Amino acid sequence: MTTWRKELRKELPISWAEAAVLVALAAIAALGLGAAAVRFMRGLGATTGLSDAYPWGIWISFDVFIVPFSGGAFTLAAVVYLLNDERYHVLVPPVVLAGLLGYAMVCAVLLVDLGLPHRFYNIIAFLNPKSFMFEISWCVMLYLLVLVLEFSPVVLERLGWEGPHQLIRAFTIVFVSAGIILSSLHQSSLGSMWLLLQAKLHALWWTPILPLLFLVTAVAGGLCMVIFVSVLAAKVYGHRAPTHLLANLAKAVAAILLLYGVLKFADLALAGELGLLFRPGTLTLLFWAEVALGIAAPIAIFAARKLRQTDGGLLAGAVVALAGLALNRANVSMFAIWRPAGTVYRPSWMEVAILAGALAAAGLVFALAARFLPLLRPASEEHRG
Amino acid sequence: MTKAILIDTTRCTACRGCQVACKQWNDLPAEETHNEGSYQNPIRLSAVTWTLVQMREVEYRGKLYWSFLKRQCMQCLHPACVSACPVGAMHRTPEGIVVYDDSRCIGCRYCMTACPFRIPRFEWDKPLGYIRKCHFCYDRQAEGLPPACVKACPSGALRFGEREEMIAEAEGRLRAHPDRYYQHLYGKEEGGGTSVLILSALPFDLLGLPTLSSEPVALPESTLAPFEYLGQPTLGKEPVTQLNDELAHIGTPAIALGVTAILAGMQWYGRRRARLAGEAARRASAKEER
Repeated sequence: MTTWRKELRKELPISWAEAAVLVALAAIAALGLGAAAVRFMRGLGATTGLSDAYPWGIWISFDVFIVPFSGGAFTLAAVVYLLNDERYHVLVPPVVLAGLLGYAMVCAVLLVDLGLPHRFYNIIAFLNPKSFMFEISWCVMLYLLVLVLEFSPVVLERLGWEGPHQLIRAFTIVFVSAGIILSSLHQSSLGSMWLLLQAKLHALWWTPILPLLFLVTAVAGGLCMVIFVSVLAAKVYGHRAPTHLLANLAKAVAAILLLYGVLKFADLALAGELGLLFRPGTLTLLFWAEVALGIAAPIAIFAARKLRQTDGGLLAGAVVALAGLALNRANVSMFAIWRPAGTVYRPSWMEVAILAGALAAAGLVFALAARFLPLLRPASEEHRG
Repeated sequence: MTKAILIDTTRCTACRGCQVACKQWNDLPAEETHNEGSYQNPIRLSAVTWTLVQMREVEYRGKLYWSFLKRQCMQCLHPACVSACPVGAMHRTPEGIVVYDDSRCIGCRYCMTACPFRIPRFEWDKPLGYIRKCHFCYDRQAEGLPPACVKACPSGALRFGEREEMIAEAEGRLRAHPDRYYQHLYGKEEGGGTSVLILSALPFDLLGLPTLSSEPVALPESTLAPFEYLGQPTLGKEPVTQLNDELAHIGTPAIALGVTAILAGMQWYGRRRARLAGEAARRASAKEER
């Protein structure tokens, strides 16, 4: 290797491999942005697979999944700031940033999805309090603001702005509480949104307790996101993951998912719909796949002490649980809704590119933050309570 | 007070004068259509086709029926689209007409997802698309005129008047001709009631309409059927919006208050634990000093 290269490497805080990943992420994000531009010029019909039979497609399903995925921030905030459990503080900054980026993605994708995106501010100007879409929009907007405030200390610390930093710190408990209330409201209203579809949503999924089920899965999914982000970030940046803390969270996930499973099946039993579980058909298979991935497998992994105390076990449990959560949201928002016969929905490459672009942009921001902000602290800095 | 259209499908000749009249009154362009093996044309409702005579060949009780059903916005008494719309672009006027306000819409298409009858359509071909659907000729009604489709109907299949009168008229026909009609007035109670009432010789699930869960379910024949559902969607007699609206009124404040209480409890517990831990630490250090 020539000397200039060595010199450059010393100055450049990132390795070539890392730079290549960043450039690739930027390229995918740019492609998504380009596809979004084409969508605004040519309209939804020409650029997506959406139709009157499928007014909502993968973008909405993505949003309905990413919102509970990002719910890790509010659950963790409750543990750290309200239960006063300082041990978990070390997990907070990356999780809050992941939540912030998740919500930013949701807002970006929603804007592309709206038929009249230049009018999004109408959501503030005209209110229909009966609409859960209204509640979701408001909570997402306000909670995004809360997440920015929650994350700001990390940035302010880096910039060395002591005054604003202290001010934010002083009000932490206020906006953390506001964030938890907003999250509970909109995680549940994300489920309430489907109550109007009683005639259209398959009985395996439609239930009056949809809001409760969505809230419970958001807590479990959010904690899985905490585990996923923490283990992955530690692996990528060569830290030691705070495995013993994550193992406690994994145990909580197993308990919450057990509660979720009991609620889900008890609800079906009370509605007299257990027979649907054994009716041959694709939807029955999807339901069981959701139960296997989202309930049975993660409980099995996280209930085993040996598994949840290894990084591999934690990651595997979190990934299957999140896959199950994603399938659940896709079932409710797409597969289990009645459609006119003979209509199909095939997402266009541009729909996929826009989603990939949003994910890549979020990944890029996270990677840069991990590099340049005091985001990930080595496990040695942990408080031991 | 509320007006209604009574559609008697046994009187319909499928002349489609209603379709044409709707296009004329609302200045809607013609659509390029394709032969998909049926006289039904165009094959489905769209942003520029707000009403459509649906044609089906149906076998029922060993007889073949060629059924014609005018599809349009059902003008629900408790419209799901109105509860769904976050900005109140869909609303029900004091006269009971479900109309759409272009200037408010943000294009989220929740109304399309929520509608149990799959009526609202979106302008997919435009960069900035609006929702379109039958507005019950609210402009004609304001002048005391019947909707354009009713005005055009030559066979008496469509009638327009006070909803109570239309119900009485329809029930009179059901009683007078038990052999001609399937003994049910569609729209009187479905999902809390609609202002489009339908009489038919056939069970309504065969026409592709979501039926009351209490109604006996007949299996649909596989025909070319743009409105056919993959399965048997059902509606209750209670308003489709009931649960949603109740939850929005009670649930939201209840969740906000409940969570606030839980948070307060958590904080109390957290502080207490920190205090106890602090005291324990102090005791321990005092012991050491001694």
